[in-house]
Amino acid sequence: MTRLRTLALTLAILVALALPVLAQPKDTLVVGLASIIDTLDPHMHFQRVGILVNINMFDSLLHKTTRLEYEPSLAVSWKSVTDTVWEFKLRQGVKFHTGDTMTAEDVKYSFDRVIDPKKKSPQYGNVRAIKEVKIVAPDTVQLITDAPYPLLLERLVFFPIVPRKHVEKVGDQTFGESAAVGTGPWKLAEYKRDQHIKLEAFDGHWRGKPAFRYLVFRSIPEVATQVAELKTGGVDIIRNVLADLVPELKSHPQTYVTSTPILRTHYVMLDMRQAPFDKKAVRQAANYAIDREVIVQKMMGGLGRVVPTVVHPAAFGYDPSVTPYPYDPKKAKELLAQAGYPNGMDITLHSAFIEFRPVFEALAQMLTEVGIRTSPKMWDPGPAYNKFFQGEGKATHGAYGSWGYYSVFDADAILHPLYHTEPGGWIGKWYARVEGLDPLIDQARSTVDQAARKRTYSQIIRVIKEEAPSIFLFHQFDTLGISKKVDYAARGDEWLWLFDAKPKR
Amino acid sequence: MTALVVRRLLRLVVVCVGVSLVAFSILQVSGDPVSLMLPEAPDSDRDVLRQAMGFNDPVVVQFVRFVGNAFRGDFGKSFFHRTPALPLVLERMPTTLTLTVLAMALALAVALPVGIYSAVRRDSVVDHAATAVVFLGQSMPVFWTGIMLILLFAVQWRLLPVSGWNDWSSLVLPTITLGTFSAPLLLRIVRSSMLEVINLDYVRTARAKGLSEWFVICRHALVNAALPLVTVTGLQFGLLLGGAVITETVFAVPGVGRLIVNAIRQLDFPVVQAAVFVLAMIIVLVNFAVDMLYVYLNPQIRVR
Repeated sequence: MTRLRTLALTLAILVALALPVLAQPKDTLVVGLASIIDTLDPHMHFQRVGILVNINMFDSLLHKTTRLEYEPSLAVSWKSVTDTVWEFKLRQGVKFHTGDTMTAEDVKYSFDRVIDPKKKSPQYGNVRAIKEVKIVAPDTVQLITDAPYPLLLERLVFFPIVPRKHVEKVGDQTFGESAAVGTGPWKLAEYKRDQHIKLEAFDGHWRGKPAFRYLVFRSIPEVATQVAELKTGGVDIIRNVLADLVPELKSHPQTYVTSTPILRTHYVMLDMRQAPFDKKAVRQAANYAIDREVIVQKMMGGLGRVVPTVVHPAAFGYDPSVTPYPYDPKKAKELLAQAGYPNGMDITLHSAFIEFRPVFEALAQMLTEVGIRTSPKMWDPGPAYNKFFQGEGKATHGAYGSWGYYSVFDADAILHPLYHTEPGGWIGKWYARVEGLDPLIDQARSTVDQAARKRTYSQIIRVIKEEAPSIFLFHQFDTLGISKKVDYAARGDEWLWLFDAKPKR
Repeated sequence: MTALVVRRLLRLVVVCVGVSLVAFSILQVSGDPVSLMLPEAPDSDRDVLRQAMGFNDPVVVQFVRFVGNAFRGDFGKSFFHRTPALPLVLERMPTTLTLTVLAMALALAVALPVGIYSAVRRDSVVDHAATAVVFLGQSMPVFWTGIMLILLFAVQWRLLPVSGWNDWSSLVLPTITLGTFSAPLLLRIVRSSMLEVINLDYVRTARAKGLSEWFVICRHALVNAALPLVTVTGLQFGLLLGGAVITETVFAVPGVGRLIVNAIRQLDFPVVQAAVFVLAMIIVLVNFAVDMLYVYLNPQIRVR
């Protein structure tokens, strides 16, 4: 009798244990993220994991289709009035999650709170070209820039509109912590720091109802755990699937993989201010030393594509007539000898790009083979920022890294930070010294004449290919692991626009 | 007895000061958080922030300010969460402590009976099996154990959730993972200290008095064998808190460990300092409790 009771009890426990796994409701879509953002205020951070949550709660003036073309969102139409004035017609009758109707006042307020330096928004730099937001009619606003600003529309694709009355009532802090309100397809239901963000479909959304009633973003730092959750149905989507995991998720009966080229471009910045990379021949030699195809195929599992410079094929300004440096170790050795290094030299490269350590080590090995004997130094991202970009830019000789263009499909979004030397040139200031490049970059960013811009970028691309301020490498793919119960495709801008996600039957 | 307690308490204060010195200075040499907080700002803006945060003051001034504030429980605001650091740590503490205490309890629940049995039935099958398991358990790193348990119990057999911190079922795997890390050492200590006392004269005397074997083992042998066990358990507590960092990461448990790891990544000084301080205090208090327990268990110390 006792034994029977023990057996029954054991069974009951096992069943109870199994229940939470089986009882996965179909109206919920769960996304596993490496971390959860500290604030839901879409204007007070610039982290990818935050943007991915924000875009599903907030709308911006413009949106992009899956083919990355502009599409009306809160603005139904737009036109440039002069070189520095853009006019936007607002969609009428759009409701915030609080029930209030969105007005031109809210649009103006949203820009003002980022442009105001006192608010210390990290996104200030993205929109600081906007001098004034003018309400010209209840349904029309004008954005006035201090100079022609060709990137304006790109910057408006992620620029969420927030409700003025509500934000002023609850205050900035509470808005970000517990009372985030937008016009997006989902509204905030629960925000548990370090654990999850739960969103619930907003019935009054102007696009209609999303396919999933609930959207949950869970924080799962460990990749192996993310994969295990995906296989067991605990989560439906995981991001940044590395090459070595792709075959496993492709062949698993419950999961599939979707992959698409993205803007994130890899490079090695070379310190042009000192030997040996002050010599053009050495920089070119470094470019000839790298077998890019082998790296993309073997180390990236094919999830990348070689780029001729750092300008991405999908970015405005790309010039297909410029080709990548071929892999030519013999030529590299000749160039080194020409530059006065017949016996090569010893250098140190740095990186904080932990996920791509194998690539970094392969690069160092290939450089060493032609005589640029490289010791690769790997850093934790925290201290690395200090090491690379502080004071004198102490990463002597160079640093391996990547740039994601802020999801802005324009050559300026990488040329300015990487190669412009004035303050504001984010990395370039410490490394690049290409004569005549600064004025060219300035020229291309201060006109809205797209044909003229394209010509300038062609010229720039030729200059940087010749001058080789970096070792040019490849751009990577974004790879998502997805449950077979869900239909969704990776986007070229790394967004998770989950309004497009549908349950699969 | 009172003198002893006072001495131990004094030592506690010294340790506190030492801990704050270490917490303060490690972060001083590790880099500049301003460049992380304002990555794309011009240097002039950074200088303003640096001034406002007091990073330009001499290190000694910064340290004195740090200790003064620390004693009032004020570690400053987290640079990234923009809220006071100490509550951030304290609100995650129960999770980490629950995990640690459960793992400790599990480890003891396994180590005590198996260890005693191995000692009493030395060279039996159980004893040899236990030794083998000890070797295995000590050789497995926590993150590996965790992932293996996930693969077996969650992915293969679908018995338990993979990760998270919700109902009791989500506590099972992290507890086993962390317990596995601690049990082998405790088991070895129980076994060897039992072996030491079990053949001593007083145990034989107890047996000769005709007491039951059960009573002899528990009342006479175990109490004396418990001294090293108590010490090691106290020390293990600190190790388990450290192991909890990894366990929390593997199982996506929102505890102090993950908070610290993220804070270190972001050079979030106040949070790291508050967390190191609180954890060190817990370890100090546990050790103090162990000392006191020691006194209770071993009358010789009271006399000395």
